[in-house]
Amino acid sequence: MAIAIERPRVAARRANRYRVWRRVGHLLTYLGLFASLVFFLGPFFWIVTTSLKGNEDFFAFPPVWIPAQPSLGHYAALFTRSSGARYFANSFVISSLSMLAALLVSLPTAYSIARWRFGGGLLSIFLLVLRMLPAIALIIPIYIMYKMFGLTNSYLGLVLVYTVVYIPFAVWLLVGFLRDFPVEIEEAAMIDGCSRLRALVQVVVPIIAPGLAVVALFAFIATWNEFLFAVVLTGIETKTMMVLVTSFTSGGTDMFYGEASAAVVLGVLPAFAIAFMLQRYLVKGLALGGTKG
Amino acid sequence: MRMAALALKRKQWEPFAFASPSLALIALVIVFPLVYAFYLSLQDFDLSVGPDYEYVGGRNYVEALFKDRRFLGSIWSTAVIIAPSLAVELLLGLGIALLLSRVIRGRPIVTALLAIPAMVSPVMAAMAWRMMFGVKYGAINNLGRQLGILDVYFDWFASPAIAVTAVVLVEVWHNTPFMMLVLLAGIQSIPQELYDAAKVDGATPWQSFWSVTLPLLRFTMAVGVMIRLIDLTKLFGLIFVLTYGGPGSSTETVAFNTYLVGFKDFRMSYASALSYVIVGGVLVLTLVFLWIQRVREARAG
Repeated sequence: MAIAIERPRVAARRANRYRVWRRVGHLLTYLGLFASLVFFLGPFFWIVTTSLKGNEDFFAFPPVWIPAQPSLGHYAALFTRSSGARYFANSFVISSLSMLAALLVSLPTAYSIARWRFGGGLLSIFLLVLRMLPAIALIIPIYIMYKMFGLTNSYLGLVLVYTVVYIPFAVWLLVGFLRDFPVEIEEAAMIDGCSRLRALVQVVVPIIAPGLAVVALFAFIATWNEFLFAVVLTGIETKTMMVLVTSFTSGGTDMFYGEASAAVVLGVLPAFAIAFMLQRYLVKGLALGGTKG
Repeated sequence: MRMAALALKRKQWEPFAFASPSLALIALVIVFPLVYAFYLSLQDFDLSVGPDYEYVGGRNYVEALFKDRRFLGSIWSTAVIIAPSLAVELLLGLGIALLLSRVIRGRPIVTALLAIPAMVSPVMAAMAWRMMFGVKYGAINNLGRQLGILDVYFDWFASPAIAVTAVVLVEVWHNTPFMMLVLLAGIQSIPQELYDAAKVDGATPWQSFWSVTLPLLRFTMAVGVMIRLIDLTKLFGLIFVLTYGGPGSSTETVAFNTYLVGFKDFRMSYASALSYVIVGGVLVLTLVFLWIQRVREARAG
């Protein structure tokens, strides 16, 4: 009799202990994730609030973490005094043009690899090696060549480099999207008298448009983020945001915080937008070097 | 039917025609410059001396690999930054990925939020942190003083050891999210049945982590580490903004050293030789990476 009562009690106690541990585990999980969020997003929060501070807030002690009267004064100063508007536009134009050009030349190449296995395995290894290639090895000869042809300090020069450096990545991703595309659909179009190129443009492209958008957004952010080519090949008129932001470091460790933080906020804006748009593709894109210029 | 088959017959020139625009551009902007850089590396072209140069054979390479203390030092500095960065990124990335894999609700949004640092340019990441480390107005000194931990305005970039630590911290902040994403994808591809089977056999969560998760994650970890390792050998923008190689040359990486030789000293030939040494290193690492991929595919197939 006693034993019969004891058994459920032991089981209940065990279940109870299990439940407690489960709850502790959940608590620790959320605590850990919260700490990670603070560490990884904290700097962004601080940069945004700093860019909205008034000048007197910088000298206050105890320090001002969230300005009482946020102002856009530093953004205005950045746009007028430091030509921020111009450099923001430069970044935008150069990134957009490189993105379009890279897509335009990569699509037929990817098609050729996906449909006809053009180049076999050798070409894909070649593309991988190109992706791993350090930009520092290209910048010296390209600088000398550009000097010769007068291509430094021009949009064309930078767009050309960015387009080509991006081709391996774009081709790689596009091949994946094209392989998923059923061949029968384009063959049907070709039986109806469509040429191969027209079938690609009018039948395949509209259907794989979401895939093209993914590649385009990665291309945009990679070009936006690129620094080495930009700092060597641009001049006073063609600087990008990345080059502009480094000009604030000349004041030592206590540079002019207002405009510098405003420039950083504008510089990371596309990354925020695109991180959310590309959630599902982040691993693939980042692994292949999607954001590295 | 036969008509259709004829119409669809592949034209011999088509594959090449489709691929040619990008191949031509790659030849023009990547392959030719690389060949030209190799040619340059065998000359003594120095823009600070003049436009004339002559053939010197392998002299630049001998200087780089045996005499140039600064370049050899930069190889060491790069390694000193890479080793702790990789270790912390792997462990922290694995930890966060495991936490994320335990959460169902809200996982996509938290993952996207945590991924943002990896999307940001190294220059912007370094700039934000450089301001955080700022002596008088930086968040770190201000927070330390407010909490009573620091009683002076500390200069975080005055001593080599702390400067290297700061670089590693920023690099960890910047790229742990990448490792986290890769490992999370790896964890999610492990079939749930394996965990169920382990549980039936009486395994504790700790045991199932050691004997199910870790062994199955081995290749994913290797691939993630190799990609980071190859990218870390090119560490440039972050150094340019955060420390400019200093104090002294304690945080001068190989890529940054080569940049200084090329665009501050204008020793074009010598910088080309240095960049070829880096290419050699990256090529070896890429071969290791390919080999790991092969082994993985062989195991999976």
